[in-house]
Amino acid sequence: MATASASAPEFSSTHGPLLRVNAVTRLYGERTGCRNVSFDLHQGEVLAIAGESGSGKTTLLNCIAGRSRPTAGTVEYNLRHEGLRDIYRLSEARLRLLARTDWGFVHQNPRDGLRIDVSAGANVGERLMAIGDRHYGRIRDTTGDWMRRVELDTSRIDDAPATFSGGMQQRLQIARNLVTHPRLMFMDEPTASLDVSVQARLLDLLRGLASELGLAAIVVTHDLAVARLLAHRLLIMKSGEVVESGLTDQVLDDPQHPYTQLLVSSVLQA
Amino acid sequence: MTADLMVRVRGLRKTFVLHHQNGARLPVLDGVDLDVRRGECVVLHGPSGAGKSTLLRSLYANYRIQQGSVEIRHAGEWVNLADAAPRELLAVRAQTVGYVSQFLRVIPRVPALELVAQPLLGAGVARRDAESRAGALLARMNVPEKLWSLPPATFSGGEQQRVNIARGFISRFPVLLLDEPTAALDAANRAVVADMIDDARREGAAIVGIFHDDEVRGRVATRLHPLAALPEAA
Repeated sequence: MATASASAPEFSSTHGPLLRVNAVTRLYGERTGCRNVSFDLHQGEVLAIAGESGSGKTTLLNCIAGRSRPTAGTVEYNLRHEGLRDIYRLSEARLRLLARTDWGFVHQNPRDGLRIDVSAGANVGERLMAIGDRHYGRIRDTTGDWMRRVELDTSRIDDAPATFSGGMQQRLQIARNLVTHPRLMFMDEPTASLDVSVQARLLDLLRGLASELGLAAIVVTHDLAVARLLAHRLLIMKSGEVVESGLTDQVLDDPQHPYTQLLVSSVLQA
Repeated sequence: MTADLMVRVRGLRKTFVLHHQNGARLPVLDGVDLDVRRGECVVLHGPSGAGKSTLLRSLYANYRIQQGSVEIRHAGEWVNLADAAPRELLAVRAQTVGYVSQFLRVIPRVPALELVAQPLLGAGVARRDAESRAGALLARMNVPEKLWSLPPATFSGGEQQRVNIARGFISRFPVLLLDEPTAALDAANRAVVADMIDDARREGAAIVGIFHDDEVRGRVATRLHPLAALPEAA
């Protein structure tokens, strides 16, 4: 049992949800990507989505993150000063701005989330410039700060990430996302491409940052141990549908659905 | 004195269904009622398989409640764990109910002192205060100071268990659930844990525990709650 799981962030009962996913379905022609998924996410909550490959995890993540319009259903985000708004009814420019300021997206392969041939510093500073910061010295200072926070050597600030190891690239991708102080992070298998020792370091870093910054996050993973370590809540998907959901330790310690029982019993130790 | 009542269990039933073992049904709890007040240490008592751990885990909403209710007095209000939203359950765990098992779930790279201090840091206590309370507890648990800055992955089982107990007691939860916290501890450390349980109880905690050690049980229990094994369903 998770007596030493991620420490709970502060929960405010007065705020509504940060995100409301309502009956989201995404079809690809006849094929189901995901079907009828609903949940609320509050500030500071980390939600993991687990299930085998092809179960619809990434499809669902892309729908929620504004990257793939659902066939049916709505994704509402709590905009500062405006409350819950359907993200697919915002103008494209507004959605893009949201995605690069208030949200972050960490790809499984850091090369999908970084510009691999421009310097590490430019990769991080770019997001600041995108929101209008033009002060070179300040951008460079902030970039250096974030490199330190993700435990990157700031002497590498002018090197291209193509020269970094996979673990360093992944940490740089995280710094690039966090520099604008997002409230919500989307992560698609953030540790899957890394060695086990590097995974542990990255998980610990993510865990610390999420609780320190009060971040909400949705993490797609096939690794139940990652879910146990990072997430307060867990959704289990199979064939595009959520078959079980609950607090992470409930789902892993007392699985109800046959598929969840199979998944949990197939793991060496989660 | 209902103001003292912290835990109220009514008609709690639990049957495990093992879908991959021909749908075998294992009934474990059949209509449990339990009240726990501030200043009480109720020890669940019964043979192996009687559902002691299942009941304790249900009080933490770690096991799902199928039938009946488990109510916890949280921030002055009764919250029924059977139908509370996930974030209500998280809030109950953050502020009201602590669970101490005998096993530490080690987090890679996190040192012992930090692991113990984390619940306080999460609740917004200043780092210096949180770490000084964590240090005091580790010292009381006889964890050598040279280990405090190390991640407990390489500690002995007994050392890990003591780190876990320190972590469990640091928040002074109003409701404390103890799942054999003294298993695998030597006599001196068992006595320290028994003292800590008594202290928590005197400070007003409502405590429910499982203790296989007769001496510890006799020492800390204010009352036993008997549980009997159920016949297996056909």
